[in-house]
Formats: sequence, structure tokens, C-alpha cells
Amino acid sequence: MNERLAYIIMIVSAPIIWVLTIRITEAPSFLLPPPNMVADIMLSEHQDLLFHTRITLVTALSGYVVANIIAISLSVSFLYLPWLEALAVPWTVVIKNVPFVTIATIMIIILGDTPMPKIIIVVLVTFFPILANVTKGLKSADSVMLDRMQTLDSSQWEIFTKIRWPSALPYYIAAHEIAFTGSIIGAVVAEWLFAREGLGALIVRGMSQYRADRVWAVTILASALAVGAYLLVKAVEKYLFRWQVEDLT
Amino acid sequence: MTIEFSRVSKQFGEVEALDDVSLTIDDGEFVTLIGPSGCGKTTMLRIAAGLEEPSAGSVAVNGGTPRNACREHQIGVAFQRPALLASRTALRNVGMTLEITGRDGALSPGDLLTDFGLGEFHHHYPHQLSGGMQQRVNIAAALVHDPAILLLDEPFGALDELTRESMGEWLGGVLSRSSKTVIFVTHSVEEATILSDRVVVLSARPGRISEVIEIGLPRPRSRAFRTNDNFLREVARVRSSLYRAVELSN
Repeated sequence: MNERLAYIIMIVSAPIIWVLTIRITEAPSFLLPPPNMVADIMLSEHQDLLFHTRITLVTALSGYVVANIIAISLSVSFLYLPWLEALAVPWTVVIKNVPFVTIATIMIIILGDTPMPKIIIVVLVTFFPILANVTKGLKSADSVMLDRMQTLDSSQWEIFTKIRWPSALPYYIAAHEIAFTGSIIGAVVAEWLFAREGLGALIVRGMSQYRADRVWAVTILASALAVGAYLLVKAVEKYLFRWQVEDLT
Repeated sequence: MTIEFSRVSKQFGEVEALDDVSLTIDDGEFVTLIGPSGCGKTTMLRIAAGLEEPSAGSVAVNGGTPRNACREHQIGVAFQRPALLASRTALRNVGMTLEITGRDGALSPGDLLTDFGLGEFHHHYPHQLSGGMQQRVNIAAALVHDPAILLLDEPFGALDELTRESMGEWLGGVLSRSSKTVIFVTHSVEEATILSDRVVVLSARPGRISEVIEIGLPRPRSRAFRTNDNFLREVARVRSSLYRAVELSN
């Protein structure tokens, strides 16, 4: 079975399962709203939803860009300054494993309801997969390739651009698969924790007003964004590595 | 260009890879290094390429250091594992060498690949090529800037017997048209005999030169030559020398 067909089957069967669940459990619509009710909300409140989606996306993307810049800069520094990597390991272990909700709370106390703590949360969620993968990828360059470059008296810059970076690229793309989706989830969670705007904030608002239909609408929207981010990375990957699937003709 | 090893020793920690090795390779000569594992043949080649520094003694390439020969783009290297980037076609992999060295005095990557029997495979990626083809691309990438010295470390070691024979024959043909100085590392006595002007037999632990054998066979040496009595006699001579070196190693 091909992948596209599997996606279509999922998109069709999800609402069916949803409706069946309502029928079987006889859940009232304020607990488990039927698909048409959620669809109505998405249509009638689309301006509001789009406004908050845009805010979530801006947070996610800003954090993601920052995470990429920091992670790649560090990975490259690690390659040429092994002592820096040794020095950074305990820091990364600690920062990675402290629950980010608690860090977020501390950030809010310090910075208040500004974009900064949200961006910091996105960075915390997405930074490590990129750092780990790019660091590993840069070191994965083939030793015979590096030996030849040395006998050709090539500069470090040439070795980096022609050998190291192309070797790291598959690892970098693989990191995006995790991290790009993570940036959207990170942004939603950050908003859910403390913001007044964004999809996360809409969830809190819907919950406090007992509007399950709104919560469901936001859930579907946020999921679609995260899945979209994932599929976008997959498409870029397929384009960049299209040569891998070309068979001998 | 000449390559001169003068009393070269090399230690890796406690391991003595090379001990007091002296050898002069003449301009345009094809010299093969052969010997049991751990005899330091790869280390000798890597020192000549400037990839390792000797612990004692020195190596002179045309009177200068190996690093200097690298700076002058006079060295080409190919190892058992082809140094090819998976994301580049055969042509662009060969072209990569010229991206580093510049095109002055270089051969045309396209012509070279065609000359190597890969005319239809310029735009194939490494994973679409057989092991033998990959190694030809690899050797093309080592030769395309037309270096005076070629250093080959078991380039056919990963190939099956028949491919290996035809690759050896092919390499002999390619190099007979040039005047390159070649150091070739191999495990195969036949390959060493058919390709070389001289075979240097090394013994292991520590790595030392056990014997140097002049191969007194006329060129060109084609595949038919492999069943020739003179050839078989030379093979036997190299093989018994190799056995003596293995004895010395234990």
C-alpha cells in the first residue's frame, strides 16, 4: 500500500471513528462535540482562528530560527574546538533534562507575558535534536575523503563546504523532522501556560468557557500545523536527496 | 619525481609500525609494497602522502617534504574505500579534485572517465555503480590533476577475483601511457608481479624491508601474460620471498 493512500484512509476514517464513538458512548455534545459542530466553529470563527494561528506560527518560527542559529554555530565550534564540546556536555545534559515547564514559569516571572519566554521555550524544545544531529553529521565525514583533501592541500573552508557540510546534511534534515514539528508544539504549550493570544491561549479560553467545540477546533488546527510542518520537511528531504531514488537505467 | 625514505621509523604508541626503513623510488618507477598485516606498508604510503609524520628519519619527495609536494599538487591518492561523495555524480566527483587544485595542467574529467570505460556513466551516482566502476572513478579523481606521483593503497582489495584481474590490467595500461612515479600497496602477489618494476617485501613487528625484488619482465604485460612461464616464475620468486618475510615476522 502506498503512503498517500494510507493518509487518505486516515483522513476519511478519523471522523467516522469520531461519530461512532459519540453514538456508542452517547456522550453529550458539550463533552464530545460531533464533527459538523466543530466544522461550524472553524468556519464561523475562522478570522479569529487564523489570527491566533498566525501568532502561534510567528512564535514557533522565530524560536526555530534562533534554535537553528545557536545549534549550528555550536556544532561547528565543537568540530574545531573539542575542548568546548567537552565543556558544554554537562550544560547540555542539565538544560535538556530540566522540565521545560518549570523553566518557562521562571521565564515568565522574569520577563512577563512577552514574546521572549515563548521563544525561549520553543528554542529549548527544538535546539537539542539539531545540535546533536549536526554535531554527529559533521563528524561523519568519510576519513578517506578527508585524507584526499589533505593531499590536495585544500583549505579548512573547502573541506567544510565540500565534505563536512554535505555529510552533515542528511543528519540535519533528520533533525528537522523532529524539531520543526516540535517548534509548533512548543509554541502551543508556551501559550497554553501563560499567554493571552495564540492557539494555546484559545485552548485555555475554550476550556474555561466549557466550549469543547472550540477546544476541538483548535486541536485540529494545531495538529494540522504540526503534521504540515512534518510533511514539509519530508518533501524538502525528498527533493534534496532525489538522487538517492534514481535507479540505474 | 623521486621518493626517498631515509631511515624512517614510526611508532603508534607501543606499536612499532616501521623500523629504520630506507628506500629510494626512482622517477617514473612503479614500486609495490607487499607483506603480512602489520608490516607498515600502509604507513609508508601515508608518510609519503604527508598524512603521517615519521617518528624518526625523513622522507623526501623530489628533494622536498611530502607536504610541499601536496602544496604543488604533485600527489594523487586512492585507497581501498573509494573517496567519493554520495551526493555527486561520477563526473562531479572527479571534478571535485579540480575544484581544489584549479584547472592548470589538468586533464578533462569527462575525457578521463570516458577513457576509463565509463563513457555512459558520467551522470551516475556512486551507489548506481559497481565496485569496480566506483574504483575507476576514484582513481580518475586521484589522477585528474595530473600529479607526478600516484599513491595507491589496495585499490582493488574489495573487488572479486575476476574484476580485480581486469582492473589490474586496466591500471597497467593506463599507467604505461604516463610517466608517473607509483607506490602501490597490495596483498596479491600476482597483482604486484604484473604491475611492478620492483616489489618491496616487508616483514612485520617491527615493519622492516625484508627483500627488494626487481621484476625482469618486458612490458606491456597483458592478461595472456598471466599464464606465461616467465611470469609464473617471477610470481613464485615474489611468493617465496613473501613467505620468508612472514617467517621473519613470527
